[in-house]
Amino acid sequence: MKANKEIAAYTLDALKKAGADHAQCIVSSGKVDEFNVDGGEFSLLRTLFNSSITMKALKDGKKGVISANKLDKESIDNAVKQCISAAESSVSDEAESIAPKIKNDNFVSGALSPDRDKFFDRLQEYVADVKNDYPKIILEQLVSKYVHSEIIFMNTNRAEFTYTYGNYDLSSMFSAHEGEKSSSFNGYYAKFDSLDKKLIDIGMQRTLFAESEQQIDTKPCAGKFVGKVIITPACLADILLISFGNFISDSTIIDGTSPWKSMLGKQVASDKLSVYTKPLDEQVVCGERFTGEGFMSENMEIIKDGVLKSFMLSNYGSRKTGFPRALNSSRNLFVQPGDTSLNDLVKSVDRGILLNRFSGGHPSTNGDFSGVAKNSFFIENGQITNALSETMISGNLVDMFKNITGISCETISDGVTVLPYILVDGITISGR
Amino acid sequence: MLEDRISIFKASFQEHTELRAQVNTRRQVTLLNGNLVNNLRSDESGVSARVYKGGVYGFASGAEYTDERIKAVLAAAEENAKFMDMRIKKNKPRLPLVGTGKKELLHDVKDVEQKVYINYAKELDAYISERYPNLASRTIAVRADSMEKLLVVSDGFDSHSLMPRSFVYIFLSAEANDGTTVELFKPIGGFGYFNEIFTNPDALYEDIDKLYTKLMKKAEGVYCEAGYKDVVMHPNLAGILAHEAVGHTVEADLVLGGSVAAHNLGKQVASELVTMVDFAHTALGETVHLPVYVDDEGTPAEDAVLIKDGILTGYMNNRETAQHFEMKPQGNARAYLFSDEPLIRMRNTAILPGKDKLEDMIASIEDGYYLTETNNGQADTTGEFMFGISMGYEIKNGKLGRAIRDTTISGVAFEMLKTVDMLSDDMVWSCSGMCGKKQPMPVGMGGPAVKCKVNIGGR
Repeated sequence: MKANKEIAAYTLDALKKAGADHAQCIVSSGKVDEFNVDGGEFSLLRTLFNSSITMKALKDGKKGVISANKLDKESIDNAVKQCISAAESSVSDEAESIAPKIKNDNFVSGALSPDRDKFFDRLQEYVADVKNDYPKIILEQLVSKYVHSEIIFMNTNRAEFTYTYGNYDLSSMFSAHEGEKSSSFNGYYAKFDSLDKKLIDIGMQRTLFAESEQQIDTKPCAGKFVGKVIITPACLADILLISFGNFISDSTIIDGTSPWKSMLGKQVASDKLSVYTKPLDEQVVCGERFTGEGFMSENMEIIKDGVLKSFMLSNYGSRKTGFPRALNSSRNLFVQPGDTSLNDLVKSVDRGILLNRFSGGHPSTNGDFSGVAKNSFFIENGQITNALSETMISGNLVDMFKNITGISCETISDGVTVLPYILVDGITISGR
Repeated sequence: MLEDRISIFKASFQEHTELRAQVNTRRQVTLLNGNLVNNLRSDESGVSARVYKGGVYGFASGAEYTDERIKAVLAAAEENAKFMDMRIKKNKPRLPLVGTGKKELLHDVKDVEQKVYINYAKELDAYISERYPNLASRTIAVRADSMEKLLVVSDGFDSHSLMPRSFVYIFLSAEANDGTTVELFKPIGGFGYFNEIFTNPDALYEDIDKLYTKLMKKAEGVYCEAGYKDVVMHPNLAGILAHEAVGHTVEADLVLGGSVAAHNLGKQVASELVTMVDFAHTALGETVHLPVYVDDEGTPAEDAVLIKDGILTGYMNNRETAQHFEMKPQGNARAYLFSDEPLIRMRNTAILPGKDKLEDMIASIEDGYYLTETNNGQADTTGEFMFGISMGYEIKNGKLGRAIRDTTISGVAFEMLKTVDMLSDDMVWSCSGMCGKKQPMPVGMGGPAVKCKVNIGGR
């Protein structure tokens, strides 16, 4: 960390000497060991010696940003020149700024001493567990790594944070096969900082493997109807992130095209729904401790009992629009669980689907969406029946938030998010 | 330009080894309603080594490009290969030979000052804001990237290659007839450095005017009627059809993972009208948008014919899968960053044109859609695919009708391709796409207008 600190201090000094009024710098270094499995067999061990620097200079209210991965003096001197040149060519904007110094801090999190042999043993066990417990599953690809990183943030207001962390993760892609028949592929991502338990027991992997084995035989949904959809935790994170990207992030709040632009403090969703981002929660592995703009991260309410409590704005977006900035920039989504079991949610559906994955075009700014229901099941008269193929769903995300009619009491944690199953009504479901 | 500091290490290679030095540059400028919200220059460079031993690979990379660091990276890759070989014991034979040779750099390495991108974007923004003040929002995004690679391999072709791309994306949005917002975007650009492609902003004004006209039609547009429909896909969509619907399923690593193509080699998977090729560097007598001459395993690149007259004829391979399937490796192993290992990737994937005229294709449909623009696509290893449709029109009684709102189409590739009954005699290429598969990768794609049946989402 000392080397990173010296590099960051040198860079800020060089930017100031080159003419920057204000500047910030993030320097990181680290190592990654990554194991790969392809087609069910180990294929690769990859070691990365990582380094990076991102510097931002403000000159006369104009911004330049340089990102590079070489930390020697000559490379940094060259990057500083380019950064100032980029700023000088830029457009002046009063909303540009750097963070004030409020309280500096040093953070440490996760598993700082990796055990490569034990990690590999756990991965071999994982591959064997999948083969034994779910014999129809092929692990099309598994990428699992240990990451160790040391990061420092510094700016010319003397704000300074450091973060040293180490974590493991796994990203899998799998499908089930029987003869020439196969399921759709599905995938899962999880972060963890301990090798104490079997990797197959992390998150909802067992559920997804078992469901994939049931998805070898599928039927298209018959006809077209408006029905209910149970969105699984694996799918919910994607839908929330897409929605918040469209409705409460910098771009659509700054340009005023968001349908929620005037909804702060107002009801945007069913009163059953409360959503947070919580990078500091103990269930989150190595969560964000400070933002890329140099503010210490805090947990944040986004929607509370259906009322929109905060936009997810950067400090720039905040200064541009006058609305408060987000208290963190993480994707550590938490949805408050409900009081109904998943079983009871299923029982309440007369005609609808259990949606495990959504493959669709990027929804319009107005919230219109359509796409294919992947790895999903048909629900009829309160019972999960057959797995689906060639079934499309469409609707509007603004309406969907209002039409949440149930939230499960069960939640799933994958080291990044903690999410329940949610039930929404009013989705158009169509097959061939 | 990358200095060659790696060839001297070739004599020290013990096993099959690839040693690669690489520089990736990215330049980004984004003007959102006149605000410069993104002004970034990014350079990532370094050296990596990959070593094959007994059926497993060891890989290592580092940013420093010095003799000492190159030695350390090679040693770490060899150690990783030994670790995997010792723990896995696949005992596979050596990789197939692909001949030897050397391919030199064909294009000069350049850099473009940030102010060139910014000034160009500002002029386009000024034109739009003055001419179309009623827009809800406008964004000009300039994106330029390049990959320069220097590769030496223990057995195969050494090469020095460069792939620069430059694009201007224009995003416009407007208030629609129901009070909501509709948007439309257009990418313009291709292979080359920014100032080789874009000299005068005036040259884009006509594209902007056409985009605005289409957006106004879309603002008055209607929702599609969901269902299984006859459609004509504009050539803009044929490339993504080739890439998403078929291309991914015939990547040999996904075939080994159990894709639908595993059981269909030599079988009829499409109408006899359909021939599909992943071109290496030259198509129909011309250099393609993103030419690949030698891949990152040192294999000389040649075309991979995937579907010939409707029959599935081949896969795209790396050297290891080519050995497994007893096929010839054709140069599809490509890595994105210096720190990435080569994966099986498409290059310039296209459906070949047919003999029909677009007007006749539209006239042949009683009730369906003409789909002209797409904004993304995804595929499944089962062949089930979807694309987002951002512009299109109704077809009623053989004539174009009202514009449509955003929708999504889907189908199962080897069933949908059998419904293809007309292909236009022209072809459109694009290379603005970035394919995602563990790593991103610039890819080219192309094809003619296609008449077929698909599922369409709607209300």
